[in-house]
Amino acid sequence: MPQDSPSHKPRTQGGRRPYHAVLMLGLVLSGSVWADDAEKARTIVAKICAACHGMDGNGTAPNFPKLAGRHPEYLVRELKEFSSGKRKSEIMGPIATALDPDDYKALGAYFGGQKPTSGQVLDTAAAASGKQLYQDGNESKGIPACGGCHEADGSGNKRFPRLAGQHREYLIAQMYNFKKDVRSDASSRLMREVAKLLSDDEIKAVAEFLTGL
Amino acid sequence: MKGTIVKRMIKIGLIALLWPLSPPAQAQAPATAIGGAPVWNELKGEKLEALRLKGDPARGAEAFVICQGCHKHGATGTVSGAYPRLAGQHATVLIEQMTDIRSGERKNPKMERFSDEHVLTTQEIADIAAYLQALPITPNLGRGPGTALARGKALYTRDCAICHGDRGEGKAEKFYPLVAGQHFKYLLREARFIRDGKRGNANPDMARVIKSYSDDDLEAVSDYMSGMATP
Repeated sequence: MPQDSPSHKPRTQGGRRPYHAVLMLGLVLSGSVWADDAEKARTIVAKICAACHGMDGNGTAPNFPKLAGRHPEYLVRELKEFSSGKRKSEIMGPIATALDPDDYKALGAYFGGQKPTSGQVLDTAAAASGKQLYQDGNESKGIPACGGCHEADGSGNKRFPRLAGQHREYLIAQMYNFKKDVRSDASSRLMREVAKLLSDDEIKAVAEFLTGL
Repeated sequence: MKGTIVKRMIKIGLIALLWPLSPPAQAQAPATAIGGAPVWNELKGEKLEALRLKGDPARGAEAFVICQGCHKHGATGTVSGAYPRLAGQHATVLIEQMTDIRSGERKNPKMERFSDEHVLTTQEIADIAAYLQALPITPNLGRGPGTALARGKALYTRDCAICHGDRGEGKAEKFYPLVAGQHFKYLLREARFIRDGKRGNANPDMARVIKSYSDDDLEAVSDYMSGMATP
Protein backbone atom coordinates (compact mmCIF):
# COMPACT_ATOMS: atom_id res chain seq x y z
CA MET A 1 0.00 0.00 0.00
CA PRO A 2 2.46 2.64 -1.15
CA GLN A 3 -0.07 5.44 -1.20
CA ASP A 4 -0.40 5.16 2.58
CA SER A 5 3.32 5.12 3.19
CA PRO A 6 4.90 8.21 4.77
CA SER A 7 7.20 8.55 1.77
CA HIS A 8 4.29 9.91 -0.32
CA LYS A 9 3.33 12.62 2.05
CA PRO A 10 5.64 15.37 0.78
CA ARG A 11 4.14 15.09 -2.69
CA THR A 12 0.72 16.08 -1.42
CA GLN A 13 1.99 19.44 -0.17
CA GLY A 14 0.02 19.36 3.02
CA GLY A 15 -2.93 17.58 1.47
CA ARG A 16 -3.85 20.34 -0.97
CA ARG A 17 -3.10 18.55 -4.18
CA PRO A 18 -5.43 15.57 -3.56
CA TYR A 19 -8.15 18.05 -2.56
CA HIS A 20 -7.75 19.84 -5.87
CA ALA A 21 -7.71 16.57 -7.72
CA VAL A 22 -11.00 15.55 -6.15
CA LEU A 23 -12.49 18.93 -6.93
CA MET A 24 -11.34 18.76 -10.54
CA LEU A 25 -12.66 15.24 -10.90
CA GLY A 26 -15.99 16.43 -9.51
CA LEU A 27 -16.15 19.29 -11.97
CA VAL A 28 -15.26 17.07 -14.89
CA LEU A 29 -17.82 14.49 -13.83
CA SER A 30 -20.61 16.99 -13.29
CA GLY A 31 -19.74 18.61 -16.58
CA SER A 32 -19.96 15.34 -18.40
CA VAL A 33 -23.20 14.46 -16.61
CA TRP A 34 -24.61 17.78 -17.73
CA ALA A 35 -23.44 17.18 -21.28
CA ASP A 36 -24.94 13.70 -21.11
CA ASP A 37 -28.28 15.16 -19.98
CA ALA A 38 -28.30 17.65 -22.82
CA GLU A 39 -27.38 14.95 -25.31
CA LYS A 40 -30.04 12.65 -23.91
CA ALA A 41 -32.63 15.41 -24.07
CA ARG A 42 -31.70 16.06 -27.70
CA THR A 43 -32.17 12.36 -28.49
CA ILE A 44 -35.57 12.27 -26.80
CA VAL A 45 -36.66 15.46 -28.54
CA ALA A 46 -35.60 14.10 -31.94
CA LYS A 47 -37.44 10.84 -31.35
CA ILE A 48 -40.57 12.02 -29.55
CA CYS A 49 -41.14 15.78 -29.37
CA ALA A 50 -39.82 17.23 -32.60
CA ALA A 51 -42.57 15.87 -34.85
CA CYS A 52 -45.05 18.27 -33.25
CA HIS A 53 -42.99 20.89 -31.41
CA GLY A 54 -40.07 21.15 -33.82
CA MET A 55 -36.47 20.26 -33.08
CA ASP A 56 -35.86 23.84 -31.97
CA GLY A 57 -39.16 24.11 -30.08
CA ASN A 58 -40.64 26.41 -32.74
CA GLY A 59 -42.84 23.86 -34.46
CA THR A 60 -44.92 25.17 -37.34
CA ALA A 61 -48.12 23.20 -36.73
CA PRO A 62 -50.45 25.83 -35.27
CA ASN A 63 -52.29 23.40 -33.02
CA PHE A 64 -49.09 22.43 -31.17
CA PRO A 65 -47.47 25.03 -28.95
CA LYS A 66 -44.03 26.44 -29.45
CA LEU A 67 -41.92 25.50 -26.44
CA ALA A 68 -38.75 27.45 -27.23
CA GLY A 69 -37.82 29.93 -24.55
CA ARG A 70 -40.36 28.75 -22.03
CA HIS A 71 -39.08 28.62 -18.48
CA PRO A 72 -37.62 25.16 -17.76
CA GLU A 73 -39.49 24.93 -14.45
CA TYR A 74 -42.77 25.65 -16.18
CA LEU A 75 -42.13 22.94 -18.76
CA VAL A 76 -41.33 20.42 -16.02
CA ARG A 77 -44.50 21.33 -14.14
CA GLU A 78 -46.64 20.83 -17.22
CA LEU A 79 -45.04 17.45 -17.98
CA LYS A 80 -45.83 16.41 -14.41
CA GLU A 81 -49.40 17.63 -14.74
CA PHE A 82 -49.86 15.78 -18.03
CA SER A 83 -48.53 12.53 -16.60
CA SER A 84 -50.57 12.80 -13.40
CA GLY A 85 -53.68 13.61 -15.42
CA LYS A 86 -54.16 16.95 -13.68
CA ARG A 87 -53.88 18.58 -17.07
CA LYS A 88 -55.85 16.48 -19.51
CA SER A 89 -54.55 15.90 -23.01
CA GLU A 90 -55.13 12.82 -25.11
CA ILE A 91 -51.84 13.49 -26.86
CA MET A 92 -49.54 14.70 -24.10
CA GLY A 93 -50.97 12.48 -21.34
CA PRO A 94 -49.61 9.18 -22.70
CA ILE A 95 -46.38 10.81 -23.91
CA ALA A 96 -45.53 12.40 -20.57
CA THR A 97 -46.39 9.14 -18.83
CA ALA A 98 -44.12 7.13 -21.13
CA LEU A 99 -41.21 9.52 -20.54
CA ASP A 100 -38.90 8.93 -17.61
CA PRO A 101 -39.69 11.67 -15.05
CA ASP A 102 -35.94 11.86 -14.44
CA ASP A 103 -35.63 13.30 -17.94
CA TYR A 104 -38.19 16.08 -17.46
CA LYS A 105 -35.61 18.50 -16.13
CA ALA A 106 -33.25 17.97 -19.06
CA LEU A 107 -36.13 18.38 -21.51
CA GLY A 108 -37.20 21.57 -19.77
CA ALA A 109 -33.65 22.89 -19.97
CA TYR A 110 -33.41 21.89 -23.63
CA PHE A 111 -36.55 23.68 -24.79
CA GLY A 112 -36.00 26.56 -22.40
CA GLY A 113 -32.62 27.11 -24.02
CA GLN A 114 -33.95 27.28 -27.59
CA LYS A 115 -34.34 30.65 -29.26
CA PRO A 116 -38.03 31.55 -29.63
CA THR A 117 -39.37 32.91 -32.92
CA SER A 118 -42.12 35.45 -33.57
CA GLY A 119 -45.19 34.90 -35.70
CA GLN A 120 -46.79 37.15 -38.29
CA VAL A 121 -49.56 39.55 -37.35
CA LEU A 122 -52.37 39.35 -39.91
CA ASP A 123 -54.91 41.71 -38.33
CA THR A 124 -53.19 44.84 -37.08
CA ALA A 125 -56.36 46.43 -35.67
CA ALA A 126 -57.08 43.33 -33.59
CA ALA A 127 -53.45 43.21 -32.45
CA ALA A 128 -53.68 46.83 -31.30
CA SER A 129 -56.74 46.24 -29.16
CA GLY A 130 -55.21 42.99 -27.94
CA LYS A 131 -52.12 44.89 -26.88
CA GLN A 132 -54.17 47.25 -24.77
CA LEU A 133 -56.02 44.42 -23.07
CA TYR A 134 -52.77 42.54 -22.51
CA GLN A 135 -51.06 45.54 -20.96
CA ASP A 136 -53.89 47.28 -19.11
CA GLY A 137 -56.67 44.76 -18.70
CA ASN A 138 -60.19 46.13 -18.60
CA GLU A 139 -61.03 47.98 -15.43
CA SER A 140 -64.75 48.26 -15.95
CA LYS A 141 -65.09 44.53 -16.59
CA GLY A 142 -62.54 43.68 -13.91
CA ILE A 143 -60.23 41.89 -16.34
CA PRO A 144 -56.65 41.83 -15.06
CA ALA A 145 -53.82 42.79 -17.37
CA CYS A 146 -52.28 39.58 -18.77
CA GLY A 147 -48.84 41.11 -18.40
CA GLY A 148 -49.22 41.12 -14.62
CA CYS A 149 -48.41 37.42 -14.57
CA HIS A 150 -46.97 36.64 -18.03
CA GLU A 151 -44.61 39.64 -17.93
CA ALA A 152 -45.00 42.85 -19.89
CA ASP A 153 -43.17 41.41 -22.91
CA GLY A 154 -44.98 38.04 -22.77
CA SER A 155 -41.76 36.22 -21.94
CA GLY A 156 -43.34 34.37 -19.01
CA ASN A 157 -41.57 33.00 -15.96
CA LYS A 158 -41.40 29.82 -13.94
CA ARG A 159 -45.05 29.98 -12.89
CA PHE A 160 -46.64 31.45 -16.01
CA PRO A 161 -45.82 30.34 -19.54
CA ARG A 162 -44.21 32.38 -22.25
CA LEU A 163 -46.89 33.61 -24.65
CA ALA A 164 -44.83 35.83 -26.94
CA GLY A 165 -44.67 34.49 -30.48
CA GLN A 166 -47.03 31.61 -29.75
CA HIS A 167 -49.33 30.35 -32.52
CA ARG A 168 -52.60 32.28 -32.40
CA GLU A 169 -54.56 29.09 -33.04
CA TYR A 170 -52.99 27.41 -30.02
CA LEU A 171 -53.57 30.45 -27.80
CA ILE A 172 -57.21 30.69 -28.84
CA ALA A 173 -57.77 26.96 -28.33
CA GLN A 174 -56.31 27.14 -24.82
CA MET A 175 -58.41 30.18 -23.92
CA TYR A 176 -61.51 28.19 -24.78
CA ASN A 177 -60.16 25.25 -22.80
CA PHE A 178 -60.00 27.56 -19.81
CA LYS A 179 -63.34 29.15 -20.56
CA LYS A 180 -65.10 25.79 -20.83
CA ASP A 181 -63.29 24.26 -17.84
CA VAL A 182 -61.45 21.71 -19.98
CA ARG A 183 -58.30 22.84 -18.23
CA SER A 184 -59.80 22.10 -14.86
CA ASP A 185 -56.70 21.66 -12.72
CA ALA A 186 -56.46 23.71 -9.55
CA SER A 187 -53.53 25.80 -10.75
CA SER A 188 -55.55 27.08 -13.72
CA ARG A 189 -58.30 28.54 -11.59
CA LEU A 190 -57.25 32.12 -12.20
CA MET A 191 -57.06 31.64 -15.98
CA ARG A 192 -60.50 30.05 -16.05
CA GLU A 193 -61.92 33.11 -14.38
CA VAL A 194 -60.08 35.45 -16.75
CA ALA A 195 -61.21 33.50 -19.83
CA LYS A 196 -64.84 33.62 -18.72
CA LEU A 197 -64.66 37.41 -18.68
CA LEU A 198 -63.29 37.62 -22.22
CA SER A 199 -65.46 37.85 -25.31
CA ASP A 200 -64.63 35.89 -28.48
CA ASP A 201 -63.31 39.07 -30.08
CA GLU A 202 -61.14 39.87 -27.08
CA ILE A 203 -59.64 36.37 -27.12
CA LYS A 204 -58.84 36.72 -30.81
CA ALA A 205 -57.37 40.18 -30.30
CA VAL A 206 -55.01 39.15 -27.48
CA ALA A 207 -53.90 36.08 -29.45
CA GLU A 208 -53.22 38.23 -32.50
CA PHE A 209 -51.08 40.60 -30.46
CA LEU A 210 -49.12 37.81 -28.79
CA THR A 211 -48.41 35.98 -32.03
CA GLY A 212 -46.49 38.99 -33.28
CA LEU A 213 -44.30 39.44 -30.20
CA MET B 1 -85.17 28.81 25.19
CA LYS B 2 -83.40 27.30 28.18
CA GLY B 3 -81.21 25.31 25.79
CA THR B 4 -80.22 28.46 23.96
CA ILE B 5 -79.17 30.17 27.19
CA VAL B 6 -77.14 27.14 28.21
CA LYS B 7 -75.51 27.04 24.77
CA ARG B 8 -74.72 30.71 24.98
CA MET B 9 -73.23 30.32 28.44
CA ILE B 10 -71.07 27.46 27.20
CA LYS B 11 -69.98 29.65 24.31
CA ILE B 12 -69.10 32.54 26.59
CA GLY B 13 -67.28 30.12 28.88
CA LEU B 14 -65.29 28.80 25.94
CA ILE B 15 -64.45 32.28 24.76
CA ALA B 16 -63.31 33.18 28.28
CA LEU B 17 -61.19 30.04 28.44
CA LEU B 18 -59.62 30.53 25.03
CA TRP B 19 -59.26 34.28 25.36
CA PRO B 20 -55.61 34.35 26.39
CA LEU B 21 -54.75 32.21 23.35
CA SER B 22 -56.84 33.86 20.74
CA PRO B 23 -55.71 37.44 20.04
CA PRO B 24 -52.95 37.42 17.46
CA ALA B 25 -49.80 39.30 18.27
CA GLN B 26 -50.42 42.12 15.83
CA ALA B 27 -54.12 42.62 16.33
CA GLN B 28 -56.63 43.33 19.03
CA ALA B 29 -59.96 41.60 18.87
CA PRO B 30 -63.02 43.82 18.79
CA ALA B 31 -65.73 43.45 21.40
CA THR B 32 -67.42 40.07 21.41
CA ALA B 33 -71.06 39.85 20.44
CA ILE B 34 -72.54 38.61 23.66
CA GLY B 35 -75.83 40.29 22.87
CA GLY B 36 -76.05 38.41 19.56
CA ALA B 37 -75.71 41.49 17.36
CA PRO B 38 -73.28 41.01 14.49
CA VAL B 39 -69.83 42.25 15.36
CA TRP B 40 -67.70 44.21 12.94
CA ASN B 41 -64.60 42.35 11.84
CA GLU B 42 -65.06 39.35 14.13
CA LEU B 43 -61.74 37.55 14.36
CA LYS B 44 -62.58 34.00 13.49
CA GLY B 45 -62.11 31.39 10.80
CA GLU B 46 -59.60 32.12 8.09
CA LYS B 47 -59.12 35.72 9.16
CA LEU B 48 -57.93 34.67 12.59
CA GLU B 49 -55.81 31.91 11.09
CA ALA B 50 -54.12 34.30 8.65
CA LEU B 51 -53.51 36.88 11.41
CA ARG B 52 -51.77 34.25 13.50
CA LEU B 53 -49.55 33.02 10.69
CA LYS B 54 -46.14 34.57 10.24
CA GLY B 55 -46.10 36.32 6.89
CA ASP B 56 -42.95 36.06 4.83
CA PRO B 57 -42.33 39.11 2.60
CA ALA B 58 -40.16 37.20 0.12
CA ARG B 59 -42.81 34.55 -0.42
CA GLY B 60 -45.37 37.34 -0.48
CA ALA B 61 -43.56 39.05 -3.34
CA GLU B 62 -43.86 35.87 -5.38
CA ALA B 63 -47.49 35.27 -4.45
CA PHE B 64 -48.40 38.89 -5.24
CA VAL B 65 -47.51 38.36 -8.90
CA ILE B 66 -51.05 37.17 -9.57
CA CYS B 67 -52.44 40.41 -8.13
CA GLN B 68 -50.34 42.66 -10.38
CA GLY B 69 -52.69 42.34 -13.34
CA CYS B 70 -54.97 44.74 -11.45
CA HIS B 71 -53.03 46.26 -8.55
CA LYS B 72 -49.94 46.78 -10.73
CA HIS B 73 -46.24 46.35 -10.10
CA GLY B 74 -45.31 47.89 -6.79
CA ALA B 75 -48.97 47.68 -5.73
CA THR B 76 -49.60 51.25 -6.82
CA GLY B 77 -53.20 50.59 -7.85
CA THR B 78 -54.70 52.75 -10.56
CA VAL B 79 -55.47 56.47 -10.61
CA SER B 80 -58.91 55.67 -12.00
CA GLY B 81 -59.70 54.30 -8.55
CA ALA B 82 -60.71 50.92 -9.92
CA TYR B 83 -57.95 49.32 -7.84
CA PRO B 84 -56.54 50.76 -4.63
CA ARG B 85 -52.92 51.31 -3.84
CA LEU B 86 -51.90 48.53 -1.45
CA ALA B 87 -48.24 49.40 -0.87
CA GLY B 88 -47.65 50.41 2.72
CA GLN B 89 -51.07 49.36 3.96
CA HIS B 90 -51.16 47.69 7.38
CA ALA B 91 -50.85 43.91 7.18
CA THR B 92 -53.81 43.49 9.53
CA VAL B 93 -56.03 45.59 7.27
CA LEU B 94 -54.88 43.68 4.18
CA ILE B 95 -55.62 40.33 5.82
CA GLU B 96 -58.98 41.58 6.99
CA GLN B 97 -59.94 42.77 3.50
CA MET B 98 -58.59 39.75 1.62
CA THR B 99 -60.37 37.27 3.87
CA ASP B 100 -63.56 39.33 3.89
CA ILE B 101 -63.60 39.49 0.10
CA ARG B 102 -62.92 35.77 -0.11
CA SER B 103 -65.75 34.98 2.31
CA GLY B 104 -68.07 37.37 0.49
CA GLU B 105 -68.48 39.55 3.56
CA ARG B 106 -67.01 42.47 1.67
CA LYS B 107 -68.91 42.70 -1.57
CA ASN B 108 -66.34 42.87 -4.34
CA PRO B 109 -67.36 40.58 -7.19
CA LYS B 110 -64.42 41.72 -9.36
CA MET B 111 -61.90 40.44 -6.88
CA GLU B 112 -63.87 37.63 -5.29
CA ARG B 113 -63.67 35.48 -8.41
CA PHE B 114 -59.90 35.68 -8.28
CA SER B 115 -59.67 35.01 -4.56
CA ASP B 116 -60.39 31.30 -4.63
CA GLU B 117 -58.32 29.12 -2.32
CA HIS B 118 -56.70 27.52 -5.36
CA VAL B 119 -55.46 30.93 -6.41
CA LEU B 120 -54.35 32.01 -2.96
CA THR B 121 -53.73 29.95 0.18
CA THR B 122 -54.24 31.32 3.68
CA GLN B 123 -50.47 31.34 4.16
CA GLU B 124 -50.09 33.35 0.96
CA ILE B 125 -52.60 35.89 2.26
CA ALA B 126 -50.38 36.38 5.32
CA ASP B 127 -47.27 36.48 3.11
CA ILE B 128 -48.74 39.03 0.71
CA ALA B 129 -49.85 41.22 3.62
CA ALA B 130 -46.32 41.17 5.07
CA TYR B 131 -44.85 41.99 1.66
CA LEU B 132 -47.23 44.86 0.92
CA GLN B 133 -46.94 46.43 4.34
CA ALA B 134 -43.20 46.84 3.82
CA LEU B 135 -43.39 48.07 0.23
CA PRO B 136 -42.33 51.66 -0.38
CA ILE B 137 -45.22 53.97 -1.18
CA THR B 138 -45.27 56.02 -4.34
CA PRO B 139 -46.83 59.17 -2.93
CA ASN B 140 -50.07 60.79 -4.03
CA LEU B 141 -50.52 59.24 -7.44
CA GLY B 142 -54.21 59.94 -7.63
CA ARG B 143 -54.92 63.29 -6.01
CA GLY B 144 -58.40 64.76 -6.06
CA PRO B 145 -59.35 68.03 -7.75
CA GLY B 146 -58.09 70.03 -4.75
CA THR B 147 -61.15 72.25 -4.86
CA ALA B 148 -62.58 71.60 -1.40
CA LEU B 149 -59.54 70.94 0.72
CA ALA B 150 -60.51 73.29 3.57
CA ARG B 151 -63.95 71.70 3.88
CA GLY B 152 -62.37 68.26 3.58
CA LYS B 153 -59.85 69.01 6.29
CA ALA B 154 -62.56 70.30 8.65
CA LEU B 155 -64.65 67.16 8.16
CA TYR B 156 -61.64 64.90 8.47
CA THR B 157 -60.47 66.54 11.67
CA ARG B 158 -63.94 66.42 13.18
CA ASP B 159 -65.01 62.91 12.18
CA CYS B 160 -62.19 60.80 10.79
CA ALA B 161 -58.95 61.61 12.58
CA ILE B 162 -60.03 59.87 15.77
CA CYS B 163 -59.67 56.50 14.02
CA HIS B 164 -57.61 57.11 10.88
CA GLY B 165 -55.15 59.36 12.69
CA ASP B 166 -54.17 63.01 12.33
CA ARG B 167 -51.88 62.12 9.43
CA GLY B 168 -54.17 59.50 7.88
CA GLU B 169 -51.86 56.77 9.09
CA GLY B 170 -54.61 54.47 10.37
CA LYS B 171 -54.09 52.03 13.21
CA ALA B 172 -52.85 48.53 12.49
CA GLU B 173 -54.03 46.85 15.68
CA LYS B 174 -57.53 48.30 15.30
CA PHE B 175 -57.76 47.41 11.58
CA TYR B 176 -58.13 51.09 10.65
CA PRO B 177 -56.56 51.53 7.23
CA LEU B 178 -53.89 53.95 6.18
CA VAL B 179 -55.77 56.47 4.01
CA ALA B 180 -53.12 59.15 3.39
CA GLY B 181 -52.35 59.51 -0.30
CA GLN B 182 -54.76 56.81 -1.44
CA HIS B 183 -56.29 57.36 -4.87
CA PHE B 184 -59.03 59.98 -4.65
CA LYS B 185 -61.46 58.03 -6.81
CA TYR B 186 -60.98 54.87 -4.79
CA LEU B 187 -61.55 56.71 -1.51
CA LEU B 188 -64.66 58.31 -2.91
CA ARG B 189 -66.06 55.04 -4.25
CA GLU B 190 -65.56 53.20 -0.99
CA ALA B 191 -66.84 56.10 1.12
CA ARG B 192 -70.03 56.04 -0.95
CA PHE B 193 -70.32 52.27 -0.56
CA ILE B 194 -69.90 52.59 3.19
CA ARG B 195 -72.41 55.43 3.51
CA ASP B 196 -74.94 53.65 1.30
CA GLY B 197 -74.52 50.23 2.93
CA LYS B 198 -72.97 48.62 -0.16
CA ARG B 199 -69.54 47.64 1.09
CA GLY B 200 -70.60 44.66 3.13
CA ASN B 201 -67.90 44.73 5.78
CA ALA B 202 -67.99 48.42 6.68
CA ASN B 203 -67.35 49.43 10.24
CA PRO B 204 -70.82 50.38 11.51
CA ASP B 205 -69.33 53.23 13.51
CA MET B 206 -68.01 54.79 10.33
CA ALA B 207 -71.25 54.20 8.47
CA ARG B 208 -73.06 56.02 11.26
CA VAL B 209 -70.63 58.94 11.23
CA ILE B 210 -70.88 59.57 7.49
CA LYS B 211 -74.56 58.74 7.14
CA SER B 212 -75.49 62.40 6.89
CA TYR B 213 -72.64 63.25 4.50
CA SER B 214 -73.67 64.64 1.12
CA ASP B 215 -71.86 63.57 -2.04
CA ASP B 216 -70.02 66.90 -1.86
CA ASP B 217 -68.90 66.15 1.70
CA LEU B 218 -67.57 62.74 0.65
CA GLU B 219 -65.74 64.32 -2.26
CA ALA B 220 -64.24 67.00 -0.05
CA VAL B 221 -62.95 64.58 2.56
CA SER B 222 -61.66 62.14 -0.10
CA ASP B 223 -59.95 65.03 -1.82
CA TYR B 224 -58.25 65.96 1.45
CA MET B 225 -57.14 62.39 2.24
CA SER B 226 -55.76 61.79 -1.25
CA GLY B 227 -53.49 64.81 -0.78
CA MET B 228 -52.23 63.89 2.70
CA ALA B 229 -48.52 63.18 2.83
CA THR B 230 -47.77 59.46 2.71
CA PRO B 231 -45.69 57.93 5.49
